[in-house]
Amino acid sequence: MTAIDTKPKRRNRNRPVWDEEPSLGGKAVKALFMICYAAAIALPLWAVLATSLASEEALSRAGGNLLILPTEVSFQAYTEIFSGGALTDSLVLTTVLTIGGTAISMVLTICGAYALSRTGSLWHRPILWAILLTFLFGPGMYPSFLVVQKLGLFNSYWSLILPGAVGTFNIIILRAFFMNSIPGELIDAAKIDGAGEFRTLLTIVLPMSKAILAVIALFYAVGYWNIYFSAVLYTPGLDTQPIQVVLQRMLMSTQGLPEGASAAAQYQDQGAAAPTAALKMAVVVCTIVPIVLMYPFIQKHFTKAVITGAIKG
Amino acid sequence: MATLQSTAPPEADPSPPRRIVRRKRTVAQRLRHDWPLLVLALPVLAHLAVFHYWPTAWNIIAFMDYSPYRPFWENPFVGFAWFERLFNDPYFVPALLNTLKFAALNLLCMFPLSVALALAMNSIISIKVRSTFQSIVYLPHFFSWVLVVTVFVQVLGADGLISNWLMGFGGERLDFTANPDTFTLLVWMQWAWKDAGWGMIIFLAALASINPSLYEAAASDGANRWRRMWHITLPGIRPVIILLLILQIGGILSVGFEQYQLQRQAVGYQSTEVLDTYVYYQSIIGTQGESFGTAAGLFKGVIGLILILVANKIAHRLGEQGIYQKS
Repeated sequence: MTAIDTKPKRRNRNRPVWDEEPSLGGKAVKALFMICYAAAIALPLWAVLATSLASEEALSRAGGNLLILPTEVSFQAYTEIFSGGALTDSLVLTTVLTIGGTAISMVLTICGAYALSRTGSLWHRPILWAILLTFLFGPGMYPSFLVVQKLGLFNSYWSLILPGAVGTFNIIILRAFFMNSIPGELIDAAKIDGAGEFRTLLTIVLPMSKAILAVIALFYAVGYWNIYFSAVLYTPGLDTQPIQVVLQRMLMSTQGLPEGASAAAQYQDQGAAAPTAALKMAVVVCTIVPIVLMYPFIQKHFTKAVITGAIKG
Repeated sequence: MATLQSTAPPEADPSPPRRIVRRKRTVAQRLRHDWPLLVLALPVLAHLAVFHYWPTAWNIIAFMDYSPYRPFWENPFVGFAWFERLFNDPYFVPALLNTLKFAALNLLCMFPLSVALALAMNSIISIKVRSTFQSIVYLPHFFSWVLVVTVFVQVLGADGLISNWLMGFGGERLDFTANPDTFTLLVWMQWAWKDAGWGMIIFLAALASINPSLYEAAASDGANRWRRMWHITLPGIRPVIILLLILQIGGILSVGFEQYQLQRQAVGYQSTEVLDTYVYYQSIIGTQGESFGTAAGLFKGVIGLILILVANKIAHRLGEQGIYQKS
């Protein structure tokens, strides 16, 4: 073909012809950087998994904490989590919150995005502005807390879902998708055939947006699964807390150095002895697993959907 | 002109010019046509009204001596007294400075890291290597801060993996996760671990939108790898960099809450106090009261609003699109 192909060096077939082969040193530096970076992320996670599977004897032999490889695998920590105690309750609660919250958020988001995607309708611009203004100014922590109190939601599980149920950013992303990726002719045709707005939304628009809807649902689901701040703020008095709060209490109980007496008492109040490292790490694994299970799907659609939404705004 | 209009009643209007005039429909007519859309928008609007605009209106108590035990209208207005008290509070200014320090750190160290990762990724040709690396590095973005902090304590804490390993060699116990002096470094490491990969994804998408024929043309003009990066790649992702920069600057006082609250017990409040934790510990947990906490939050919100408007203005001056168009 071209003169470049006659070079003695082996070329990557996918490399465009105009692109020169990088030097060996450059390649090595880049490879080293990327391997170190990936290892810095993956190794701690592996260590967490290893610790969660270690028996108590193995842990104490290894210095009380962390193992690189489980010598004898023990599922003791996991049986403890799922044996029906406070940890089981917390996982069930978090699952229910995640599913229920995601459902509520999705209904709100879909309705809002569809209504806003029909430009030129009555009061379209003021409604759009009402949503866009939320990007510029947040009401602040204390007023939000006050409103939750006034609504009687303090120490109610609803306060973990309702205040954050609408992600305005997600509405804007979904609206952009409805406007850009669903042909207007299709909607017009449905109108001419006599379909109303609700019917158009349900039978034309939603089936065409399955991928992005799933992505946004996952967005919300991860958010609900990771609920921590709302629980600290709005539901400090409830017995069964979301799993992140439980994990935080376990972390604090073994992290020593109690700073404020009240805070220390709060953690000691749990009554139980300090959790073993294996138990703690098993809870970490339990909070990671749902995210990892969603991950292949996220990877497939997520980035593309997010980016197009973010850039087109 | 006004007199002319008033003298000609509409009925006496001569035949209008022959062009298609879109009849301006009345609100009632449009309502009859568009009501399903309004019904669909209603839940979201109700939600925003209750959980966004209502609390926003409550910010007025920052200017009142508010007490929940008397009727709202009996609370006296006190002007900026709470803000004065805020700035005289010995804990407020350190919290503000900490916030600015972490924000500057984020701006200066996270952006270049994400861009560098994206550039390194972009130069990898093998699709397999790319997708493997990509799936590893942005997984932690979906982890909660509780999880991230737990993992960090487990690895870098006093009883952690590296500490044990060091002591196995006769070294000293590591106190990295409980050391106020190195907390800034710890915060940065946690950010890098959690979010650098995510930032990379956004830049990668921007890189993918650059027309490859530009590279080919530059290469045939003799531009080497570095010159192509400087003259094509970086200008190509400039709009995205500026967009993210504006958003970052707007959120400069919102560096987060969980990361600091979670490590407060171990590291101490002096190094970990930021504005959000300040509001929480002073007025929700503490005894500073409603108006004080609201004033601190309002200060943060207003500064954020001003910063985002200014940053956007600067972006327009630089010929970029920014977050919204000039209207």
